[in-house]
Amino acid sequence: MATGPAIATGSPRSRSWRWTAITGVSLLALVTIHMVAHHFVVDEIGGLRTYQHVLDYISTPIIFVIEGGFLVVVTIHAMLGLRSVLFDFGLSERRRRLVERALVVLGVATVAYGFALIGILASRA
Amino acid sequence: MSDAVRTLRVHRFKRGDDAPRVEEHLVPAHEGTTVLEALRWIQLQEDPTLGLRHSCFHASCGTCGVRVNGRERLACVTRLSDVEGAVIVDPIANLPVLHDLVVDMAAFVARFPQPHPIVRESEFLPESSPADGIDDHERYEDCIECGLCLSACPVAATDDTYVGPAALAYAQRMIEESRGGDREALLHWADQDAGAWRCHAAFECTEACPSDVRPAQRIMALRRELRGRRTDHDRAVPDRPATVTGASA
Amino acid sequence: MSERSPRQGRDAGVDEILEGRREPGPVARKLPGPVAWFDIRGRSTGHLAFSLNRITGLGLVFYLYLHLLVLSTLLRGEGSWNGFLEIATTPLFLGFDVLLVFGLLVHGLNGTRLALVGSGFVPNRQKALFWSFMIFGAIVLVYTAIHVFGSEG
Repeated sequence: MATGPAIATGSPRSRSWRWTAITGVSLLALVTIHMVAHHFVVDEIGGLRTYQHVLDYISTPIIFVIEGGFLVVVTIHAMLGLRSVLFDFGLSERRRRLVERALVVLGVATVAYGFALIGILASRA
Repeated sequence: MSDAVRTLRVHRFKRGDDAPRVEEHLVPAHEGTTVLEALRWIQLQEDPTLGLRHSCFHASCGTCGVRVNGRERLACVTRLSDVEGAVIVDPIANLPVLHDLVVDMAAFVARFPQPHPIVRESEFLPESSPADGIDDHERYEDCIECGLCLSACPVAATDDTYVGPAALAYAQRMIEESRGGDREALLHWADQDAGAWRCHAAFECTEACPSDVRPAQRIMALRRELRGRRTDHDRAVPDRPATVTGASA
Repeated sequence: MSERSPRQGRDAGVDEILEGRREPGPVARKLPGPVAWFDIRGRSTGHLAFSLNRITGLGLVFYLYLHLLVLSTLLRGEGSWNGFLEIATTPLFLGFDVLLVFGLLVHGLNGTRLALVGSGFVPNRQKALFWSFMIFGAIVLVYTAIHVFGSEG
C-alpha cells in the first residue's frame, strides 16, 4: 500500500468536491431566480417589496419551496466552502474532523433559523 | 568585459541566526549573465560563505531553484537582463531553509507516495555505477524535482500537510502508465484531504514548472480518475507543444 | 513496482533533520499566512481567479448571515421593515447591491470554470475560459448596475 508521511489515510474525499460542484451549479439557477423574483419583477420602492408584498410572496407555496431549497443549497455550498478554506490552514486530522462537526452544527442552525424565519412570515400573510 | 553593474539583494540565513537578513551586492554583468553566475561571482569574489545549490548550469538538474523578484526560477537559465531593477534572490518558499538559498529538499521528497518507483529506469546506462554513498538512481519522468511548483502554490503557502503539485503529478503519471506500479494504491494515496482535493486550480505550479510537467493539468486529470469517470488523458493532458518536442502539436 | 527504495542514497544529514535531531531553519514564506492567497503581484491568471474566488466566497458567506439578519427585521413588523427600506434605497446602499452582484457573478462564473476545469475538461483552456466568463460577467454587471441605479428615482 502506498502511503505518504505527509497525509493521513482515510475514506474517499471526492464527495466534498462533488457536492460543492453540484450545489454550485444548482445555485446558478436558484440565485438567478431569487434575484430576479425579488428585485427585477417588482416596481415597488427601488425594486424592493413592501412589508405586505413580502408576506404575500413568501406564503405562495411554490415560492416557499423554491426559497427553502435555495436556503438549504446555499448553506451547504457555504459550509463546504468554509471547510475548504479552513482545511487550507494545514489542520491536523483531529482538527479537520472538529471543523467538519462545527460546520454541520452551524449549517443546521442556519437552515433551521432560515426556515423558522420564512415560516413565521408565511403564517402572517 | 562587463557592461553594467547590477544590484543583487540576497537572502541570508544560517542555522542559529535569529532571523533571515538581506545582503546587498553589486555585481558586474553583461547581456548574458545569469542569476546563478552572479551568485557564484558573489561567492568567489566577496563572500565564500554564501550558500547556494547548483550543478548542471543548463536547467537539467533542478538544484538551483530560487525566487527571483518573487517569481520561481531556475537561477542557471534566468538572465539578469530579463529582470528590471534590483535583483532580489530568495530561497524557494514553503520549504525549510537550511542555509541562505538552500532549502531542505528532504521535506519535498517526503511528500511523495512511499514507496514510489522511478518511472524512467531506461534512462540509466546498465554499466553506470552510482557515486559513493548512493545506492540507487532516482528520477521522476520529466520532473527535475526543483521544488518550484511547491513554492508557487498558494495552498502550500498555508498548508504544510498538502502533498503538493509535484507529488500529485508524479502519482498521475504512474496511474496513467503504471508499468507494473500499484495503480489502486496510488489512487488511494491521492484521494486524501491533503491530496488531490486540496488543489484549488490556481495553475501557478504549471506556470512555474521549468520542465513542462504541467502539474495542475495532471492534478485535474487525477481528479477525473478519482471521480470514477472515463479515463481520457489524451484529452486532459495533450501532447507537449511543438516548441518543446520539435514535433507538430 | 520497482524494489528501489527512495529512502536510500539521500544527502548526509537528512535523516537527522527528519527525525528532529537537527532542526532545519524556518520555512521560507512569501507573505505571512493567508495573505499569500491574495498576493497576485507577478502571478498568473489562475492565481487571480483563485484569489477572486476566495475573497468573493468569504464575502458571500458574510452576506448570507447579513441577509438573514436584515430579513429578521420583518419579524418586528411593518414599521421596522419600512425603516430598512428607507436605508436600502440610498445611493450608498445601491452601490453595495452592485458590489453584491459583482461578487455573485465572479464567484458563480469562476465556479463554473472551476467545475469544468476540475472535472478534467478543458484544463488547457482555463485562462481563456476565465477571461470569457469575466467579459460576460462585466456585461451582466453593467446591465444590473443600470437597472439598480435606474430604479432609484
